[in-house]
Amino acid sequence: MMSRATRYARYQKDDRLEISLFPFLSIFLCVMGVLSFINVLSSFSAPQKIELTAQLETGYKIAYQIFSLPDGIISVPPTKNLRKLQAVLDDADKEIVDVIIQQREQKIARLENHSGSIMDAAIEPDIDDVLDTVHDIRTLNELALKANYLYEEFILFGIYPNGSQAYQKIRDVMLLTQDSAAISVGLEPLDSNWTLNLQKGRSK
Amino acid sequence: MKNLISLDSLTDIVSNSVGILIIFAVINLIHDDSKTYQLEIPLEHDTDLSPVFFISKNDRILALNTDTLFANATLQATSNAAANKRLFSLDYFGLLGKIDDKKGISFFARDTSEWPEFKEIEKRSSTLRDSLDKLDPAKQFAYFFVYDNTEDGSSSGSGFEAFRETREYLKSRFIKSGWQPVNSESPANICSRSISRRCVYQPSYLGGGKSGSNPNNSLNNENKSDNKAQ
Repeated sequence: MMSRATRYARYQKDDRLEISLFPFLSIFLCVMGVLSFINVLSSFSAPQKIELTAQLETGYKIAYQIFSLPDGIISVPPTKNLRKLQAVLDDADKEIVDVIIQQREQKIARLENHSGSIMDAAIEPDIDDVLDTVHDIRTLNELALKANYLYEEFILFGIYPNGSQAYQKIRDVMLLTQDSAAISVGLEPLDSNWTLNLQKGRSK
Repeated sequence: MKNLISLDSLTDIVSNSVGILIIFAVINLIHDDSKTYQLEIPLEHDTDLSPVFFISKNDRILALNTDTLFANATLQATSNAAANKRLFSLDYFGLLGKIDDKKGISFFARDTSEWPEFKEIEKRSSTLRDSLDKLDPAKQFAYFFVYDNTEDGSSSGSGFEAFRETREYLKSRFIKSGWQPVNSESPANICSRSISRRCVYQPSYLGGGKSGSNPNNSLNNENKSDNKAQ
């Protein structure tokens, strides 16, 4: 038979080894639950943010993108494959393409240097600018055709909410020139939380 | 006493919470990165198909029955109600009309409460779906006048979402579609090309069916239809 002292010692030892995970688990699960809830809530409530690429092409068809906003337009000319086109042209045509490339790179640089959101860089469409743009696109397409090089630019309008006024104006101006008859046009509706990312398009 | 002031469980909780937050941050970053979006490439092109007109506004779509509309407009014109570019009722789902030498008939959509909601497209038997199902892909294409004005707090044009959904439905049925943005200042109008060069209604989006949202497939189909039209 055990002595009283031995029994007491054993009891004390058991008492010291008792471990309860309940407080830890309860707090841990609470934190997990709250974080998951916040994540689910934010994914539902926050509008989806989508970035549009600056350079858009499919095969040999290259988009000259014009984003039509309530305050005007943002023109994003393609530059990526123009040097390749230039390489297959004769000297006189090379100079023409060179001028167009320089003008376009200046346009892109202006957009990149714009302080603040790129979507605030919209400007009122200017009739002469539109006519020049359409003429340049036609010139490039014809030079590519002449050199038997697979390259065709077309105009792609991205229409933002309340942005149809600028679009209508450009389409009206395009009717003034025969150049536009030879150019394909496409248009897509865009939401206001779809923003343009110049860097992503260029890095691609 | 030593057991009571142990920091083990606190450290566990903090490290677990921080770990979970880091995981969420990484997931969000990966998610953000994949949101770069390339526009699909719908190109307007000539076609022998005839347009069937729709107006998309306030998440609702109205099919325009041109026979009824033109008959009503003719009645109004002969009764002089449509003189001097005055707005007149077309007795068609709350539409008002205006006749203009340069723009043909313009349609002003003010009250859209009677129009079918675009979500009805999911129902097997609904006015909207019936009118879309009547389209014959070999003879017709859908042309949408899409309102671009925004409702309070919305990031989209009032007709954009309805148009996109309907366009996808039509695509699955191999029906082509085209569109133009409109608003109260430049409303939907139907006119003849003999009046103005702007009076052209062309399909731009393909009825590619399973070719899906792959821009390459889309463009290939577009070229095929171009050739066919020519």
